Amino acid sequence: MEPPTTGTPVTPMIRASELSKRYGRRQAVRELSFTVETGQVCALLGPNGAGKTSTIRMLVGLSAPDAGTASILGEPVGLGASELSRVGVLIDGPAFVPHMTGMANLKLLWSATRRSWPPPELDDALELAGLGAAIDRRVKGYSMGMKMRLMLAQALMRAPQVLLLDEPANGLDPAEVRALRDRLAAFARGGAAVLVSSHQLAEVQQLATHAVVMNNGALVTAGPLTDLLGGADSYRIEVDDNDRAIAVLRAIPGVATVTAQGDGLEVTAPDLQSRDLVSALVTAGVGVTSVNQASRSLEEAFLTMTEGGSEHAAH
Amino acid sequence: MLRIEVTTQLLRLRTPLALAFLAAVPVLSALSTAPHAGHRDGAQGGLYGASPFSALNLTMACLDFMANLLMPVVIAMLACAIGSSDRDWGILRYLYIAPVSRSRLLVGKLGALLIVAVATTLCVVAAGLIAGLAWFGWHPFHIIGAPVLSTGDAVGRVMAACGYITLCLLSIAAIAFALALLLPRGAEAVGASIAFVIAANILNGQSALHFIAVLLPVHYWQDWTRLFAAKEPAHLGTGILAQVAAIAVATAVAILILRRRDPAA
Repeated sequence: MEPPTTGTPVTPMIRASELSKRYGRRQAVRELSFTVETGQVCALLGPNGAGKTSTIRMLVGLSAPDAGTASILGEPVGLGASELSRVGVLIDGPAFVPHMTGMANLKLLWSATRRSWPPPELDDALELAGLGAAIDRRVKGYSMGMKMRLMLAQALMRAPQVLLLDEPANGLDPAEVRALRDRLAAFARGGAAVLVSSHQLAEVQQLATHAVVMNNGALVTAGPLTDLLGGADSYRIEVDDNDRAIAVLRAIPGVATVTAQGDGLEVTAPDLQSRDLVSALVTAGVGVTSVNQASRSLEEAFLTMTEGGSEHAAH
Repeated sequence: MLRIEVTTQLLRLRTPLALAFLAAVPVLSALSTAPHAGHRDGAQGGLYGASPFSALNLTMACLDFMANLLMPVVIAMLACAIGSSDRDWGILRYLYIAPVSRSRLLVGKLGALLIVAVATTLCVVAAGLIAGLAWFGWHPFHIIGAPVLSTGDAVGRVMAACGYITLCLLSIAAIAFALALLLPRGAEAVGASIAFVIAANILNGQSALHFIAVLLPVHYWQDWTRLFAAKEPAHLGTGILAQVAAIAVATAVAILILRRRDPAA
């Protein structure tokens, strides 16, 4: 999540620097800092009221921060900033002129950019929206899912370099969620930066490369998703003799913890490869049935980090 | 942005309905005075009494009837829609993200107000002329108790009156627009604007409260009728100043609200 310390410095596509925002007596966001680089899909996570939407509003200039700065593509963002022409946004749900057709709405919002019709990625965006003939019907007759897909098409049709999507999967069916996930991953592979706020943690886990976790307006943690889930240094090992295996593993330098979990063992060894553990067990005469990386689900990690409210928040 | 404002409002069913309602008044008026075609309408004086004489007479009588309440109410409704629809629909945030700057947004909306004010006046004038031509024909403009005006003189005065009426409509449109930006919902702004028009008209009729009435733009809305009076000379300067002042104040308030308010608040 942080810029590289060696080589040519890379400007983060999205940067929140010490952002703070207060609405009346409620501190919505407190000294929040994180970056999203090119090629990353970053999940912005947090319980309801954590400050996710307030953060995205500041990142697109809809809300002026009380302190700190928000920048997109290396430039500070304000209301109507020109950099926003390279940003696709979904925030606070879909919104359209109800008495106009889906296509007329797309044209209307595109005309506000002062660029000629059609937008560069219109066909792909319409394919994702999958509205068929309904694109020429009035939006007021659309279902929530149809509106959401049309709004996503609006965000994607401009071939954005940065995507900021607030709960983009709301109202979508599983096939649509999958199509969206594939499209966002393709965008990131193409060099875009994607920031997604979502409550659908299973979906986020399949899509995101990085995560920013917030609680009570403050940053809890930020970093690669693998670090967050603890998958890189934990293993689940099944052996023919648990007691003997525990003794062998605990004697290996670099093994932090060994716990019995059901039929197998949960081993945390940050500086060791799985083959080192297997080698030690086999050498000691313990039969190894299977070895897998033992990662937590994002849901488990999220609940661990956010339960208990502000006491977990990093200040 | 002007195109966006005009497109979204014109395609809305209530806009053509409102304009059709205004256009219906001259048609109904022509129907009701058709038996007096070419003659004075009963014992009535002024523009009303002369309405059956010609298409232009009918048109100006209708403007006299509508310019103080019906037209301001309709334009207040349309101006509130221009000020608040994008926020009520939620597309305002997507326009800002498009990106559209505050000043561009404001210029577009003010341009739309001007178009609506002109369209409202033209709608009544066009309906009056068409209905008048159909029932009364094109005859010299007639002022009761005064010599008949030449065509050139009549057209000149009609155009001056239409310009003045449009300016008056623009003043209430600007006030309604500022209210639409200030109040949380468009419906509240429509209610407040219509209440303002009605209250100002009532106030204008109270001689004891004349000192307050003269401060309101509504007080000068009927001044244009002197252009067609038999004796009194026309002087519209004070009325024009009052309308321009109201437009300037309302626009300044609108700018202030738009600049100060956090769109996400």
